[in-house]
Amino acid sequence: MAQIEIRDVSVDYKRPNSEETFTAVDGINLSIEKGSFVTIVGSSGCGKSTLLLALAGLIPYAKGAITVDGKTVTAPGPDRAMVFQDASLLPWRSVHGNVRFGLELRRWRRDDLDQRVTRFVHMVGLGSFADYHPHQLSGGMRQRVNIARALAVDPDVLLMDEPFGALDAQTREVMGDELLRIWERDKKTAIFVTHAIDEAIFLGDRVVVMGKNPGHIREIVEIDLPRPRTSAMLDSPAFIAYRQKLRDYIAADMASLQMVKDVA
Amino acid sequence: MTRVFYRHQALLSGLISFAVILLVWQLVVDLGFVKAFFLSTPTRMATEFMRQLKTGEIAANLSISLYEFAVGLGLAIAAGGVCGVLASWSRTLEAIFEPFVWFTYSSPTIAFYPMFIAWLGLGAPTIIAIAFLFAVTPIYANTLSGIKNVDQDLTRAALSFGARKTDLFIKIALPGSVPILVAGLRLAVGRALTGVVAAELFGATAGLGFAIAYYGQKLKTTEMMVNLVLIVICGVICTQILSLLEAATDKWRTGPGR
Ligand SMILES: Nc1ncnc2c1ncn2[C@@H]1O[C@H](COP(=O)(O)OP(=O)(O)OP(=O)(O)O)[C@@H](O)[C@H]1O
Ligand SMILES: [Mg+2]
Repeated sequence: MAQIEIRDVSVDYKRPNSEETFTAVDGINLSIEKGSFVTIVGSSGCGKSTLLLALAGLIPYAKGAITVDGKTVTAPGPDRAMVFQDASLLPWRSVHGNVRFGLELRRWRRDDLDQRVTRFVHMVGLGSFADYHPHQLSGGMRQRVNIARALAVDPDVLLMDEPFGALDAQTREVMGDELLRIWERDKKTAIFVTHAIDEAIFLGDRVVVMGKNPGHIREIVEIDLPRPRTSAMLDSPAFIAYRQKLRDYIAADMASLQMVKDVA
Repeated sequence: MTRVFYRHQALLSGLISFAVILLVWQLVVDLGFVKAFFLSTPTRMATEFMRQLKTGEIAANLSISLYEFAVGLGLAIAAGGVCGVLASWSRTLEAIFEPFVWFTYSSPTIAFYPMFIAWLGLGAPTIIAIAFLFAVTPIYANTLSGIKNVDQDLTRAALSFGARKTDLFIKIALPGSVPILVAGLRLAVGRALTGVVAAELFGATAGLGFAIAYYGQKLKTTEMMVNLVLIVICGVICTQILSLLEAATDKWRTGPGR
């Protein structure tokens, strides 16, 4: 059995101002091996965040089962850490304080608490900004704090919801390299949501393409590129082929949406 | 020199306008435009202030008023804070406290003064009760809304790291509601001071408000105004202390620091 098993999972949300429910994702099946890097792409609103939140144990799922290392996920646990899509830093805490926050909540009892915080703040390149507060940082720096906070608690599984969403293309690449370096060193399992197809291919062992209405897994593409990945690969024929394939899948999803709209 | 001027411009302008007002005040009376009976003058008040200081009147009135203010406000902070936190945890409690909030916000509490005298007698306990009633509502209401409107994204992030209920309260809800708590405190301080003075005006045996009523009835303008100015000074000092508190709790907004 793989480290993470998602079996026939669906997640319902309550509709606003009514008792009805709305199925955000349905019939999700996915096995993720320990130490692998899985990226998830799909158009906006197809339930990527929802799936990640369910994995994190932050929202209940209506059907199916999610297990991590054989244990059923019902709540957040020390084996998982999440980097959120939206700002989730405490505005009144400095960079140092925000990275410390995760460790405090995990009841990190060892003496090395502050050294560890400092180490991870340095790791994401914010050593000279440790005393800055979130509102004094750029969007990209804030995301790096988020990543440092998640890495510092030493999770087995790292859940990342568009962590580079707010970054420009160049910074994205640098951060992606950085993330791969950390991942290759610590061999954590990584699940990474992104809108950027190139990023999904560059980072992932597999790219999961999700579709809408309700959110489901449309396709899973194995990325057979050697590691470590380098920016030279971005122009390789294999990479271009993957890019084309993924574009087609996502376009097909958009087209099916169009048909739904036409019928309605 | 000019740099110094610009840095302290606000303070300087304030002082200048204050001095001009004092001067005009002194002059309109001394030159006979207005009778001293209606307005007194700064110099008369200064002399009278020294007299009341020597006789110990000021010390006595000031200390009793400050005592009533401090106890009333302290009780309001304790009760309003505790009730606010409890109500943020339980909808039932919130519903139970709700009518009381409407009541104290919308009715002239001071009108119940005779009843308080009937229950608590003429003196400090009645005045403390009035100050308490004046001050408790904003403390309660702001504590409640501060804690209830805690940022959901932050809560979710904290939960993902295994936060317990107490963590959410101490590390998210409390620090997140500091600005609104301080705003509540600011309102409460003003209202407690008003409560003390108003209650003393209505009937008391000591205190600054009492002194105002006493000298006012005897038509002793200067003596009365000395006490009035003392109340104003108390109010200004309280507001300044609160501004410092606000600045201290808000430090993270302005500069780096843990
Ligand atoms: N708290 C919620 N209550 C009700 N519906 C929700 C809630 N959160 C998300 N949804 C709905 O679930 C669906 C999937 O949302 P989700 O945030 O998972 O999408 P996403 O794939 O992450 O999109 P994006 O790429 O824009 O971040 C959307 O239709 C959204 O309206
Ligand atoms: Mg999302």
